[in-house]
Amino acid sequence: MGRPRKVQPARTGSSRRDFFKRSGAGAAALVAAPSLLPLAAEAASTVFQHGVASGDPLADRVILWTRVTPATAKPAVSVTYVVATDPALTQVVQRGSAKTNPGRDYTVKVDATGLQPATTYYYQFTAEGATSPVGRTKTLPTTGASSLRMAVVSCSNLAAGYFNAYARIAARADLDLVMHLGDYLYEYGTGQYGSVRTPEPANEIVTLTDYRQRHAQYKRDADAQAMHRQHPLIAIWDDHETANNSWKGGAENHQPATEGDWNARVTAALQAYYEWMPVRPVDVANLRDNHRSFAYGDLAELLMLEERINARSEQLTTAVHATAFGAGFATTDPGYGDPSRTLLGDAEEAWLVKRLRTTPAQWKLLGQGVMFAQLKAPGSNQATDPGLYFINSDQWDGYEPARNRLFTAIKGDAANAQVNNLVVLTGDIHSSWAADLNPNPHSPASYDKTTGAGSLGVEFVGTSVTSPGIDTDTTGAIAGAIKFYNPHFKYVQLTRRGYMLVDVNRDRVVGEWWYVDTVASPSNVEVFAAAFEVRQGENHLRPSAQTPSRANPPLLAP
Amino acid sequence: MKKHLLALALATLSALPLAAQAADLTFSGQAMNHNDKIVIDFQVAAGSTVSLWTDSWQSGLNFDPQLYVARGGVIVDHNDDNEIASLASAGAGYYDAGMQFTATAPGSYRLVLNAASNDARGTTLAQGFAYDGSTPIKLADWNQPSYDVNANDQKGGFWRVNLSGVTQASVVPEPGRTGLMWAGLLSMALVLRKRHGKR
Repeated sequence: MGRPRKVQPARTGSSRRDFFKRSGAGAAALVAAPSLLPLAAEAASTVFQHGVASGDPLADRVILWTRVTPATAKPAVSVTYVVATDPALTQVVQRGSAKTNPGRDYTVKVDATGLQPATTYYYQFTAEGATSPVGRTKTLPTTGASSLRMAVVSCSNLAAGYFNAYARIAARADLDLVMHLGDYLYEYGTGQYGSVRTPEPANEIVTLTDYRQRHAQYKRDADAQAMHRQHPLIAIWDDHETANNSWKGGAENHQPATEGDWNARVTAALQAYYEWMPVRPVDVANLRDNHRSFAYGDLAELLMLEERINARSEQLTTAVHATAFGAGFATTDPGYGDPSRTLLGDAEEAWLVKRLRTTPAQWKLLGQGVMFAQLKAPGSNQATDPGLYFINSDQWDGYEPARNRLFTAIKGDAANAQVNNLVVLTGDIHSSWAADLNPNPHSPASYDKTTGAGSLGVEFVGTSVTSPGIDTDTTGAIAGAIKFYNPHFKYVQLTRRGYMLVDVNRDRVVGEWWYVDTVASPSNVEVFAAAFEVRQGENHLRPSAQTPSRANPPLLAP
Repeated sequence: MKKHLLALALATLSALPLAAQAADLTFSGQAMNHNDKIVIDFQVAAGSTVSLWTDSWQSGLNFDPQLYVARGGVIVDHNDDNEIASLASAGAGYYDAGMQFTATAPGSYRLVLNAASNDARGTTLAQGFAYDGSTPIKLADWNQPSYDVNANDQKGGFWRVNLSGVTQASVVPEPGRTGLMWAGLLSMALVLRKRHGKR
């Protein structure tokens, strides 16, 4: 769709999300002055200045990651690594070697195999005469798992503030893993979206060199390093790992006239992503498709979705109905009911339905990018227009036939049982939500807001690590109005930054929202805000309480 | 993209002249397993500067090779990743191997090409290599330690090594490896014929 801008304008609003931008409520950007503090990790080893990370754990293997910075450019750098069961690295279970080269931006990615299930390991790299920090990671269980405890994060914009949430997560020794639901980094240039810290490079990132530099800056952040050092990551990308509101053929924030071919940009972004993230590629012949699943014993299956650049149809921008949040749309409007429009694409959609129907796991946890639950706002003039309209065409609302296909599969039919115990985990919108899921939750005939009857599953949406929400909703009036018009939302919080803690056992899945006090400066303050749970077989939310930490967790990495 | 980066990286590496080194002899063939060894004997005249380098890695299309040179069974040189720009410019990539030395006396040398990380156990060839006792793994099924997880590369068995400053060289057949020998001889013959034809 033609957007004739030649130069990316500076972003002065607090959010690039149409929903928030249009609300007019988020105009108060973080006003903190640019920090004079250096990135704390700069004093660390030069060779391993980007820290260590682990990710995509399975029962017998995990990706170990680091990046080597040689004193002078070299065609190849040899690396050794060690994996042990104790933080002092005396109980060694594996030693190995690897190499890297400038073609990989000197990143090192090892798939350490032959490990034991449900086991905490410590690891360290050596290269160029230097040793890396010791990292800690954990494999997934095979059988007999009774508990999964993880942090869920999204939308970590370095320019918007400090990753205090990451530091809090790093301090929690009893987590099995951290799930990042995307927008791990942002593509904007200086001052275009966030002004607490200055992005590197200063320009919007477009080329391979740009994306690599930006990844490198994020990996030098002390809080990001701390989180990566203590926990394995399971990450998916959302849009900003490429560009805002990306879809298969382009993005809102991609101007071909000045930024070149979209496919070339995606290729560059993904090369840097796979170099710099502890992620195991699913299909090396098509790096755009990273949907994959993780079996957490038979307690839970983590179904991680790709919703952006492999198959997504372009967002519709033809909303015409005036609402308090800007132009809204009805799915009966032209285009919105087109069943060929997709988020996942046919192959991933079929895969997801098959996994939901056949997984032996009790809980089906969907890790995905954009909100699944419906979000509507009333027509601005209720006297003349009493309708309710969807307001964000970038989330599942903009792809209702595709969403309804999933609801149909979840409901089951003559040949397939209903899918129970579905929990959707979501990021993207810089705010906190808990929802019952129903194809038509605005209709009392379809969904009972008091009892939750009719709900087919639940959704927990985690707030951002740093990116701003509707920070002016200090009274909760906007959140209250959203809940009033959308009765399936049991919790809406629009102003706070932080993370979700998800605690799973045989009886229930609890989602807890934890908030940091600020992102404008480093801070260790966090508060528990709310918890909701879904019980085995109930498929709807109930208020819950903070879950206890596990006793005697494995030692944190030193 | 990668070639461009290579050129940049190498340009900063060394002030050595970037003129491509011409090979006197080139051998190539297909290795099958992760612990295969290609053995080549060569003769050197006194005072000759000898260059040996592979150019078969091809950005990960084929396995990551390394070279050992022995004299009288004693390993005198080893290289995994060539840092000599003058050799690398002759088609070698990041993980190709290469070495250069001046022979003080005329004599016979033995060159061993194998997969990187199949390292010599000691200071002599007779002591063997790290993977000698292992069950052979097909290169196509092997994740060489230097492979790129993101590309799942280095699955090809093609190898090629260039020699310059030598008077003669030949592939030494290993027991049960006559097929490999014939492949090597054939490719040498082809190279020689091609070079002859150019004159």
